[in-house]
Amino acid sequence: MRTAQILKEITNSKYTDIVSGKTPALIVPNVLSSSHCTLLSRKILKTNFMGSSPGISKKIGTSLSSHIYEKSQYFSNALLSNQTLKNLFSDNVSPIVIMQQTISKILQKQLSPAFENEMIYSLAMIRIHEHGDSVHLHRDNSNFEMSEYGISNLKNQLSAILYLQSPHHGGELTIYDKMWDKNDERMRHPEFGYSLDLIKNVTQKKILPVTGNMIIFNPKLYHQVESVIGLKSRISLGFFFGEKSKNHLCSWT
Amino acid sequence: MTDIIWGTVTKIISTNSFEMNVSHQKDTNNDSYQDVEEINFTEIDIPSIPVDINSRNISQIEESLNDKFVKCEISGRNSENRLVCSVSHSGAGGY
Repeated sequence: MRTAQILKEITNSKYTDIVSGKTPALIVPNVLSSSHCTLLSRKILKTNFMGSSPGISKKIGTSLSSHIYEKSQYFSNALLSNQTLKNLFSDNVSPIVIMQQTISKILQKQLSPAFENEMIYSLAMIRIHEHGDSVHLHRDNSNFEMSEYGISNLKNQLSAILYLQSPHHGGELTIYDKMWDKNDERMRHPEFGYSLDLIKNVTQKKILPVTGNMIIFNPKLYHQVESVIGLKSRISLGFFFGEKSKNHLCSWT
Repeated sequence: MTDIIWGTVTKIISTNSFEMNVSHQKDTNNDSYQDVEEINFTEIDIPSIPVDINSRNISQIEESLNDKFVKCEISGRNSENRLVCSVSHSGAGGY
């Protein structure tokens, strides 16, 4: 049976199952305490927001997908984005560092931010989904889509998401048992994501955005964020990571 | 208004032309287009493809464009019945 696994440490075979998509996701509970998440969420909601994305009212941070062919602009924005996050998290240990350390511990591999020609990649992104927000069916695949960037060469890429605030209702992450294939590109939507025809009759796993929990999954599995319902927004912090070598992971957004 | 089509690149024909499967057409296009069209690109916004046509080679174009989802803004058809287009990356499959 395909179930998300709740674990604190994983073996090599379980890591392989996550990379292959056999296990839809790892749920790492209580990475941050509820009180720490509440504190951070309050600060985040007071920040001047930097932008929006398909299905996301507000986001803090920059990502490669906004700059697929604007490399120098991406790295300029990454510096600003990283500084904003540093300022935001200056009162406590950064949750980005806590996520990195947790991943490093459970996967037993070193994890550090990705650099290219001495320029640092964007460290993470905060996404704020408000009432009515949802993210359409998509996959994240830097190996295929970000070929202009060095991180496209990193193997076994995974996604890490930490939930800082749960909405009253909705906002589940639905992961489908279907890995992206290049033939799926014919099912692309011009603006964002893919046709829902791709996941007809495909098994799915819904993951609740529980405050303090971190999710690790293969982002090449098709996934979507269900509609958020209610006045309390869904706040998450995320980045991607992949293998630079067998025991060294690099992260970026 | 310029006609626009979207789709995936299936074959590189030369350093300035390719074949594509047309999966989307702008609602307000003046003309309709075949499911498979040959594109002659006059402009392309993908940095790894040199602007100077003499500096390009087929394998470089294949690496950058094969299987990719692109947007083609059409300015007409040439004598080889290829659509003459400005080609750019379109949207994103994910974050």
